[in-house]
Amino acid sequence: MSKTYKAALLEAMQEAMDNNPRSLIIGQGVTDFKGIFDTVKGFVDRYPDRVIETPLSEDSIAGICIGAALNGAYPINTHIRADFGLLIFNQLINLAAKYKYMFGGLFEIPCMYRMVIGRSWGQGAQHSQSLQSLMAHIPGLVVVMPADPKSIIESYRYSIQKYKGPVVMLEHRLLYELNFENDETKLSHPIFGSKLEIEGTDITIIATSVMVLEAKRAANHLKKNGISVELINLHSISHPDKKIICKSVEKTGKMLVIDTSWPAYGVCAEMNRIINEYKPSILKVPSNSMGMVSTPCPTAKALEEMYYPDVHDICKEVIKMVKKDGSEINLPKKISMTDFYKHFKGPF
Amino acid sequence: MESLEIYKDLFYQSLRIRLVEEKIIELYPSDLIQSPVHLSIGQEAVAVGVCANLNLDDWVFINYRGHAFYLAKGGPLPEFFAELMGKKNGQSKGKAGSMHLASPKQGIMGASAVVSSTISHAVGAALISKIKRENRIFVTNFGDGALEQGAFHECLNFASLHKVPILFLCEDNNLAVHSHKKERQSFTLEKLVGSYGIPFHEIEEGYDFVKVQKLSKISIDEVRNTKKPVFLKIKTSRYKEHVGPGEDFSAGYRDKNDINKWKKLDPLLQDKKLYESFLGKINNEIENAVKFGLESPLPDREDLLSDV
Repeated sequence: MSKTYKAALLEAMQEAMDNNPRSLIIGQGVTDFKGIFDTVKGFVDRYPDRVIETPLSEDSIAGICIGAALNGAYPINTHIRADFGLLIFNQLINLAAKYKYMFGGLFEIPCMYRMVIGRSWGQGAQHSQSLQSLMAHIPGLVVVMPADPKSIIESYRYSIQKYKGPVVMLEHRLLYELNFENDETKLSHPIFGSKLEIEGTDITIIATSVMVLEAKRAANHLKKNGISVELINLHSISHPDKKIICKSVEKTGKMLVIDTSWPAYGVCAEMNRIINEYKPSILKVPSNSMGMVSTPCPTAKALEEMYYPDVHDICKEVIKMVKKDGSEINLPKKISMTDFYKHFKGPF
Repeated sequence: MESLEIYKDLFYQSLRIRLVEEKIIELYPSDLIQSPVHLSIGQEAVAVGVCANLNLDDWVFINYRGHAFYLAKGGPLPEFFAELMGKKNGQSKGKAGSMHLASPKQGIMGASAVVSSTISHAVGAALISKIKRENRIFVTNFGDGALEQGAFHECLNFASLHKVPILFLCEDNNLAVHSHKKERQSFTLEKLVGSYGIPFHEIEEGYDFVKVQKLSKISIDEVRNTKKPVFLKIKTSRYKEHVGPGEDFSAGYRDKNDINKWKKLDPLLQDKKLYESFLGKINNEIENAVKFGLESPLPDREDLLSDV
């Protein structure tokens, strides 16, 4: 059965409210007619005590979630743009992430911060950022980027019902309206794991969030041209499955990391650390990274197209790395990713 | 309780906190405590007077200058010294130290070293308490420096909007590290708090634990009865330097005469007879607590990696 990304989010939120009476949804816009892109729409009528609209006070709301968790609630704090999530960094990093450790295990802070990455359609420098690396760097935080509905259901359910610490869920706006066919691939762990999406032999691609989809499109194209891609959906940014990663790169001898963010000091850098500390000799060719150009995000569409890598760029890099006579392989046409995923028509 | 009994009881508790901190000063040069300490000496009456009106299940959210509130609310003393010494039997296995005291059994919630950052925790806990229809109150305790933080204003707004049972308790010692309030604030606190529709009360005699107990009871009862936020400011005086065991009058940023005025009113310094009568018992308790800390083992690698 097929399902959209946002339908899975709605299902996860519905399950949170129905199966866990401690759940609390709190954030700007959770009671309005848009309901965080339909994912909590109408909830306030059914759970008036547990769906809380907030003032524009991100810092204190994040702290209110900590206090709520201390008093037995499971707060789910929403941020319509991950960029606004920067305003909660004092509470997230100085308090939530450390509360259990700093007090020697006297307390636990089970809670969830949902943040939407707003890439494309002219979202510009402050509505589009992928900030996973900043947060995954911090011990005590679990940072997850679910790339499909099944991953959403599994990881949200586990976080809300079983995990006792703060989890940051980075949801991608480009994925929201997309329909996904049910597949058989499995996460190695709901929030501490990754997923082998496609088995292959020539090259390992490790991708995050919407780039998993783009890498899948690239893998399909390359397969028709005789290149076998193994694709890993990283899923848990803070706790990726190192075994899957090392085993795959050991098999293919080639690693291309494709992240939604900047390569420096981020997911790309971390994947290289993992391989280098495991066995650098398994790389038969130098590893490669793809991500956003190292500038802030421009608003102009013409610039935005150059800013993000897409299926065309991925195929080009893979062919270079695999070195099967590249000239004979046609590259897929360069079409804007937002045009391809054209369900998304803005404005937000 | 007779008023004399109340005086004696609060005196005892205040003196106990002061002597504990004087013991810290005594131990400090030995490096048994290898971590910053922000002493409450001069401010004990605030913690003791307020906590006398709180129940065990009322929660207090404290800050890095937290020794007085930790002890006044009933935090265990042996584990306190072990914690300051970085020992395994410390309240938080030595991972917290002086700046991050907590003891949930007595309703002492985690202290933060980032000014104003636990105010919102108290609001959040109070919000859930309201939803659960509990019958208890929440106290957030902060200094006058916190009044300038945006999060403080956000919390006044949210607490008033959602009508949660919280006491905003400001310990006003007029100093944020080394800067005076007049260098930092352009607003009138009473008007500011009033603009959020929150009742504002003030106690001038922060050295007088009996007065603090009596007057803070009015504010605390108001929170209990109305189940809404109330603001209480208590004037107090920090005798020691911002951080560390010493005094810093020679630095020139503050006038020793201001402190001397408070000291002349400070019962712990003036009532020598009562002081003497309690000294032996309190020192005995402190010696045993220090011994507990000294004898406690050091935390190990397992402790380093646990509780993440």
